[in-house]
Amino acid sequence: MKRIKISYILLAAMVLLPSLSHAQQYNGTSGFLHIPSAEMSHEGDARMGVHYLNKALLPDTGFLFQGEKYNTYDFYLGITPFEWIELSFTSTRRKDTRAVTGEVGFWRKDRYASIKIRPLREGRYHPAVAIGFNDVGTTAFNKERTDVQLYFTNIYVAATKHFGFGGNELGVNLAYRHYFRNYNDKWSGLVGGLSFRPAFFPQGRAIVEYMGNEFLIGADALLWQHVLIQASLIDFKYLNLGLCLQLNMLGKKYVVAER
Amino acid sequence: MVNSWLELGAQKKDTPVKHNYSIFRRNCLMGIVLAVLLMSGPQRSWGQSEKPSIDFFSGFEVGLYDFYFYQKYNVVFNLTPGFKWNMGNHWQLAGQARLTVINQLSNDVRRFYPSMLVLSKELKAGPVYLKGSVGAFSNSRYGFDLKAFLPVTPWLAFEAQAGLTGLLTMAGGWGMSPMGRFTGTVGGDIYLSRWNTQLRGVVGKYVYTDWGFQAEAMRHFNHATVGLYAKWNNIAGQLGQEGVSLTQSLAKGMDGGFKVTIMLPPYKRTHRTVNFRPASHYSLTYLVRGMAQYRDANQLYYTDPEENMRDGWFSRDLLKWGSHTMEPDFIYKGKEETE
Repeated sequence: MKRIKISYILLAAMVLLPSLSHAQQYNGTSGFLHIPSAEMSHEGDARMGVHYLNKALLPDTGFLFQGEKYNTYDFYLGITPFEWIELSFTSTRRKDTRAVTGEVGFWRKDRYASIKIRPLREGRYHPAVAIGFNDVGTTAFNKERTDVQLYFTNIYVAATKHFGFGGNELGVNLAYRHYFRNYNDKWSGLVGGLSFRPAFFPQGRAIVEYMGNEFLIGADALLWQHVLIQASLIDFKYLNLGLCLQLNMLGKKYVVAER
Repeated sequence: MVNSWLELGAQKKDTPVKHNYSIFRRNCLMGIVLAVLLMSGPQRSWGQSEKPSIDFFSGFEVGLYDFYFYQKYNVVFNLTPGFKWNMGNHWQLAGQARLTVINQLSNDVRRFYPSMLVLSKELKAGPVYLKGSVGAFSNSRYGFDLKAFLPVTPWLAFEAQAGLTGLLTMAGGWGMSPMGRFTGTVGGDIYLSRWNTQLRGVVGKYVYTDWGFQAEAMRHFNHATVGLYAKWNNIAGQLGQEGVSLTQSLAKGMDGGFKVTIMLPPYKRTHRTVNFRPASHYSLTYLVRGMAQYRDANQLYYTDPEENMRDGWFSRDLLKWGSHTMEPDFIYKGKEETE
């Protein structure tokens, strides 16, 4: 109960804090909270961050220690070399007992690369469309092999459209994604969400989404041009937190777009 | 150093001492011929470089070796102090050492040891840019090296490298083998200036007797370059082994990853006869598969302690192609543009 209260306080603090972000996901690419979107980071954006992952956001196997799921974290590097492509690399820590010393800790890891391509930019009347892959190499070579774990492996296509009114911005996002294993295919299928970027606080946005099996509510904000923070609650209960350093390698400043 | 046994093993097994000596003597003669060729280069290119100066610098190396499932990383942290003596006319003497601060990888490496000492000369001969080097290179190699770069158009260039080297390491005690190993690469570069994006492809024979190819795509940003690469080598690819088809070999021998080079501040500098400064850049390379047959594959060596994928082989004031047509990373007071 106390944890839930703290979570609400954090969320409230993020909404109230002076906070333009194009969001972050737990894997360093732009998106909503857990579901992918067709939004893209700015050309030249580089990201380096860490994300606290609640066990509810993890697949049902691979993240069990002594029979129980546990909370963990990941860290990532991401880059947008061109405005139509994002790349990232993520390492998620896994808990285990160390062979020699018997010490329990996050000794193991699951690594994967992500790629997101936007063939269609958002227009006045049509949404942006993006396709993406998580765990690219594994997906390409091992999807038929049952001995290879594909914890975060998925492919998706997403469409996102933004609407402006009174300086505010409403984002509508719809995606179809596919996971390859039964321990994570609960998040397969049609997913979607809404984002709201208020006029009084354009650096931040609030998000609500359906991730295929659960609902997720959260917010993110870009502070001081470089610090990207995100917090979310799965089913209004389970907290996830992200902290990311973002900079633009073409030297561009983030400004609020007219809406 | 990690790969030394490959070299030593092969040499000890196959090459008698006398034969080694004859190879050594023959290669020394080849080196002298190379030096004479370089010295007899066209005079007009010699007047392009700056007045003599010496730079002392230090960078650092961070190695995060992800070898074991049950350990986060084996960490290696080294300081890499070095010097570059620009003797004028694009002659340069450069050296570097390694000072180990953290080493969780090997107990056999000394805390401090010299790692490079290279005399090199760059010149322009007709349309071709040449760089000849002699000395102790990176990757524990010593010998002779010649690099050539031929810009055809502002967006297309060809490159080649040839080297004759042996093992020379002081990392864990003195280790040396005769200069008996030939390395050579040829390739092409495409530069898309609108996006400051470079595509590079090379095929070659490499230091650890493997041969293969490598393809890179990199974008040069302000003070940073980020690239993806893929490489294949015949050893990991088990090419020619029974039961391994060409398609299987391509899949087995292929690896890749990403590279990042960040030029280190300060970007506005004062240039004197003697300079103390941080290293020019920090580079990071990530390899997806990373096992020894991939990690040691497609390996060459650097002939300049500050060689990097952003600047390439040649000095900015000599070769104006590719990233050298961008704004310079380092602006020196009182000069419009120098590197």
